[in-house]
Amino acid sequence: MGSGRFNVFSIVYGVAYMGMFFWNELYHTALFRYYPVLSTFSREDRSLENAGPAILWYSWLAGAAVISLTAALVVPRSWAERLGQAWIWGVPVALFVLIFVYERRWFY
Amino acid sequence: MIQMMLVLHVLVGAALLGALTHQSFSVARKHSAPARSFVDRFRGVNSPTFTNVIVLLFAVNVLLGGLLYPRYRVDVRPTLEDLQLRAANGVFEMKEHFAAVALGLLPAYWLAWRPPLAMERGDTRKYLTWILAFTAWWSFVVGELLNNIKGMFP
Repeated sequence: MGSGRFNVFSIVYGVAYMGMFFWNELYHTALFRYYPVLSTFSREDRSLENAGPAILWYSWLAGAAVISLTAALVVPRSWAERLGQAWIWGVPVALFVLIFVYERRWFY
Repeated sequence: MIQMMLVLHVLVGAALLGALTHQSFSVARKHSAPARSFVDRFRGVNSPTFTNVIVLLFAVNVLLGGLLYPRYRVDVRPTLEDLQLRAANGVFEMKEHFAAVALGLLPAYWLAWRPPLAMERGDTRKYLTWILAFTAWWSFVVGELLNNIKGMFP
């Protein structure tokens, strides 16, 4: 993997992770869920009474890894090498601000 | 087993904090005058040598956090909800998002610190190091806070 592809992976990973999180917030869907009480992975959205709480974080991490790895391998090498340095740190900074803004709902 | 993992998670987190804080101060240094004060000496470390260790510690600690997460979801979070500690839940939600985004930054961070250090990557090196340091500090403080929260709110 060329060096520029490392940067593509890093930028896309955060965006994909947050995209999957917001997708879940809007539509309550996820690639899979982990039910720790049952020690089971499932694609179904089971009820709290029957299955206990579900963990979606693993699915966002795994989904973001697949998307960003694919993007890093698919993007032409010349494009990856031309990527501006400011994007590499600017995108995660913007994502952190977005996280602060969205998650302030817990403090009211 | 869970207690052992939790202790390991804290120890790895402390090591990560030390390495990232040294590196964060060193990238903020503007001059190369001989170090006289404690702060100058703290900044004056050979930063590139920290990089591989930081990548390893960060990845290991996210993995440990992921393994501990089911216990948090089943035991700790319901307690926070019972105690109506919404802010505590919120700071943990932020922790998991920050850690996830920062985990994805590790390849770019490693590349930015790969010797020989390219001048045009100077800002990238600095800001990625600060982002990782912020994440490590946030995660450590929030983790400790939640671990001790029953004692703080009896």
